Amino acid sequence: MASSDKHPCGVPAPSTPEDVPGAPKTVTSHILEQSAGLIQSLTPIKQFNQHVCTWAIFSHDMKRKIETHHYAARLNEDVLQCLVYDSDETDARLIGVEYIVSERLFLALPDEEKKLWHSHLYEIKEGLWVNPGVPEVMQKQELKKLAKTYGKFWCTWQFDRGDRLPLGPPALMMSPQEHPLGQIPEEMIKKRDAKYGLSTSELKASRTDIEGPTVLHPLADYWKHTGKGWAVDLKEVEFKANGSQP
Amino acid sequence: MQWCTSGCHLSKLSQSQLHLKANQTICWILKSLVVSYVHILHTNMVDRLSLKLLSSGPAPVARAVTLPGEPTQTSTLALEKGAAALQSFKPVNRMHAHLCAFHFYAYDMGRQVEAHHYCTHYNEEMRQCAIFDTPDADARLIGIEYIISERLFKTLPDEEKKFWHSHDYEVMGGILFLPGVPKVAERAALSEVAKTYGKVFHFWQVDKGDSLPLGLPQLMMSFTSDGQLNPALAADVERRFNVSFKDNAEYRKNLTGPDEGVHPNANSWRSGKGLEPASREVDCE
Repeated sequence: MASSDKHPCGVPAPSTPEDVPGAPKTVTSHILEQSAGLIQSLTPIKQFNQHVCTWAIFSHDMKRKIETHHYAARLNEDVLQCLVYDSDETDARLIGVEYIVSERLFLALPDEEKKLWHSHLYEIKEGLWVNPGVPEVMQKQELKKLAKTYGKFWCTWQFDRGDRLPLGPPALMMSPQEHPLGQIPEEMIKKRDAKYGLSTSELKASRTDIEGPTVLHPLADYWKHTGKGWAVDLKEVEFKANGSQP
Repeated sequence: MQWCTSGCHLSKLSQSQLHLKANQTICWILKSLVVSYVHILHTNMVDRLSLKLLSSGPAPVARAVTLPGEPTQTSTLALEKGAAALQSFKPVNRMHAHLCAFHFYAYDMGRQVEAHHYCTHYNEEMRQCAIFDTPDADARLIGIEYIISERLFKTLPDEEKKFWHSHDYEVMGGILFLPGVPKVAERAALSEVAKTYGKVFHFWQVDKGDSLPLGLPQLMMSFTSDGQLNPALAADVERRFNVSFKDNAEYRKNLTGPDEGVHPNANSWRSGKGLEPASREVDCE
């Protein structure tokens, strides 16, 4: 199985949260969970303090674009880590992880590694990237910084190809870009805007002063210059059984 | 008390008997939790803050590498805090349980990693978890695990089953635990987990010393018997969280794994074949 397989289960339509198989939670489960939550501190989870709504594109099939909801936690001034969901609702599916680093850290990465990363300038300037609920004026300062960053996003649940459960290896995602393949369909943008009472085009107009990295690195957004994306395979190798190595 | 959560026992009871049983179960759990919690608070004079401290402890062995980059500026912190107050975090707020366990790379059992899972019980048969390297505020998000019931696991294509692992040994061997949760509630929660299967990918190879998440997603696996988990790693976790895996195992010895036994396609490494990621360039459209 490869991340680029078309339909592992032969179901072509996008799956929804209602399609996730499994019985509804029992009362016992609810109680056990709530109780554990009262006693445990859950500290790492409390660090996620930013909700971003934007889009991502499958690097191995750029016709497939998905709306994403990133919940970001800042590790330091140069690094953020995000849990990515397919919506912002309570039945949101956890569909992947994205890491965001500053330009400085990105430039220090090995060249082979850079090819797995994408830039954020375009989606921010276009108004595609939004922080729902936060007034633009409050967010502007942060957006100026984020416009210079690069991201690496692995999608673990290809729900849009019909997977009712997460199947196969993770797929590498790319970001919207000015190039025709990197465009987000109007109807997707309209739907998102309607939900949040936003106007992406107005946001775009207000973000003309946002600048990107010193140079948009040619190895990031690898597909733009090469027409190539990445598939991940899990290959069978000889298993190393030594379990006592410190 | 023998836990009875599988449908085959409950189906033999009438509706009113089921209601009675459910009420009795709920009452028993609530009573046990209250008693345990009060016991901890009172006899150990430990307040909630201290419970949190118990579950952090000194940094684990793997935290030798520093994260590159500048410390977060006060202005950034302030802006983020202000913005956060205006947003909702429904999906993240559903992460209710903290589970500590161990993973190894699906091609190399010698590379073992302490894994802190923060889990959402999506429905009765599916959990989705974010995995961190520590339970602390500066924890690195290193992976994702999905956990499904035996029933759902059986519906997966055989090719897919190879990527999944069972949880029976981790639970019954005592090496998977819920930091800070009283034993009785922990065992109740884990009686379900023992029958499930998990699929986990790590994106940040902290054990290798990577200061940033480099490379490809790594399929991980879990232990299936005694003698696999590195004793030094085990001892380090036991000390930091004040637990004993041996005691856990003893306390959980009446629990059982999947009702139909562990599926032969799960834990695929046992056949001697590991699974290692490789990437290849493909046309992007």
